[in-house]
Amino acid sequence: MLEVKGINVFRGEAQILWNMSISVEQGEIVTVLGANGSGKTTLVESILGVHHPKMGKITFLGEEITFRSSFLIARMGVSCVPEGRRIFKDMTVYENLEMGAYPMKARSFLKETVGWVYSLFPVLRERGGQIAGTLSGGEQQMLAIGRALMSKPILLLLDELSLGLSPKITKEIYGTIKKLHQEKVTILLIEQNATLALRHCYRGYILETGRITLQGTSQELLGNEHIRKAYLGL
Amino acid sequence: MSEFLMYLTNGIVMGVIHAISAIGVSLIVGIMKVVNFAHGELYIFAGYFSYHLSISLGVPPLLAMPLSVFFIFLVGIGMERTLIRPTYGDEMYSLIITFVLSIVLQNAALLIFGPYPNKPPNLISGATNIFGLYHYGNQRLLSFFISIGILVFIFYLIKKTWFGKSIRAVSQDRGMASLVGVDHYRVNMLSFGLGAALAGTAGVVIAPIFPVTPTGSSAISLTAFVVVVLGGMGSLKGCVVGGLILGMMENLGAAYISTMYRQIFGFIILILVLVFRPWGLFGQKTQ
Ligand SMILES: Nc1ncnc2c1ncn2[C@@H]1O[C@H](COP(=O)(O)OP(=O)(O)OP(=O)(O)O)[C@@H](O)[C@H]1O
Ligand SMILES: [Mg+2]
Repeated sequence: MLEVKGINVFRGEAQILWNMSISVEQGEIVTVLGANGSGKTTLVESILGVHHPKMGKITFLGEEITFRSSFLIARMGVSCVPEGRRIFKDMTVYENLEMGAYPMKARSFLKETVGWVYSLFPVLRERGGQIAGTLSGGEQQMLAIGRALMSKPILLLLDELSLGLSPKITKEIYGTIKKLHQEKVTILLIEQNATLALRHCYRGYILETGRITLQGTSQELLGNEHIRKAYLGL
Repeated sequence: MSEFLMYLTNGIVMGVIHAISAIGVSLIVGIMKVVNFAHGELYIFAGYFSYHLSISLGVPPLLAMPLSVFFIFLVGIGMERTLIRPTYGDEMYSLIITFVLSIVLQNAALLIFGPYPNKPPNLISGATNIFGLYHYGNQRLLSFFISIGILVFIFYLIKKTWFGKSIRAVSQDRGMASLVGVDHYRVNMLSFGLGAALAGTAGVVIAPIFPVTPTGSSAISLTAFVVVVLGGMGSLKGCVVGGLILGMMENLGAAYISTMYRQIFGFIILILVLVFRPWGLFGQKTQ
């Protein structure tokens, strides 16, 4: 469904991604693991059309999107929970959810999707009229996920879901990810917490200084000596 | 007493017109981080258009007003597409461009319309007795009610419509807005057009009361900037309250202190705000 083929991505003068290829099939949960600064966010943002590769190709549902603008990619059914949440702080919780349903297609079933998101995160229903910037960190993360779901995405990109969240909320949110997966949403999961990520995915890629150095099923990766040492601390 | 009330009423009428004009500036600053120095010129062009449409071409005044505003809206869109769009990300560059444009347009207005004030016809004549206290010109009352209607419309547009929400989203986080599917190029273009149209609206509403002149345009831009700073960057409510405060101070000051100082009051307010509350009355304190 999503295919990234040999992309080289620069930020300013610096090359961040080197000949990178990954793919995600319909219905999968795929994870990308890597240390700080290895280029995970850059990869996500390249898929979303924020950065355009110098070389290589990105296709989604068989269409090439390498040089497409972000808003057009979003309208194709790709949505994201970006690093740092980036909720619209001066808007209400409800308005943030509405913005998630901005693409025309999504607006027609807005009422229904809001109901669905509220059932996943009941706290958002209570906070509906509150200014989003005044939510707690965990609540903001739930809002960012809720907003991403409002377009009923085909592909969901999650960049460091668990960052800064308590173990309890992290567990809750991963519970939601499982539910989403049962509802046939395809997910690309970026995590620093490798244990957590590998427990929830089918397959994974290891990213080191802008290159994919390893890939395999979660079982294979969990059994790999290098990964056990470097990422799982075993 | 009735004299005081009349000056106060003048202040309120001017205040709502200031508010409309200031919202035009504030929208463009908030969304695009562009300060439009040509704001005052758009305002007076609209005033002259409504004059020439109704006097020279015989269009009914009530139709000439929205036509002029629509024309200025198109001018705004044209400005964004040709001059402003290439400058995004470089605030200094857009500042210089709109500043140069303001001088060019001001001189164009002098050439085209001449230096004399031209007053479009009144929409309504006579005066109304206000609560048995004093008489007030019907044209001013009408301008006031039109302005209130426009303010209500703008608030509705920004708070309730998809377009308004996309504007707010872009001004808070442009990148994130496009990640949820907002075409930020289109939002920029339309909101620049809207900002221009608001300048034009203020121009056509005021022209029958205070005829516009090409040389008055810089003061109009300045007034709008003062109101935006007074009310607080990015706050619609701030523009309304700021506009009212400035309108009343100007009119009461001109009546009881001296008409010579009308312009000065704006600067006094500006300095006081910058010293004591630089984020304005309703703006958000950053850092
Ligand atoms: N605007 C920029 N210009 C140049 N280099 C940048 C820029 N932004 C990020 N980088 C560099 O790109 C590299 C990859 O950054 P990226 O944010 O993609 O990493 P990451 O894997 O998401 O890290 P983290 O786990 O900390 O979120 C880093 O070395 C970073 O310093
Ligand atoms: Mg990152």
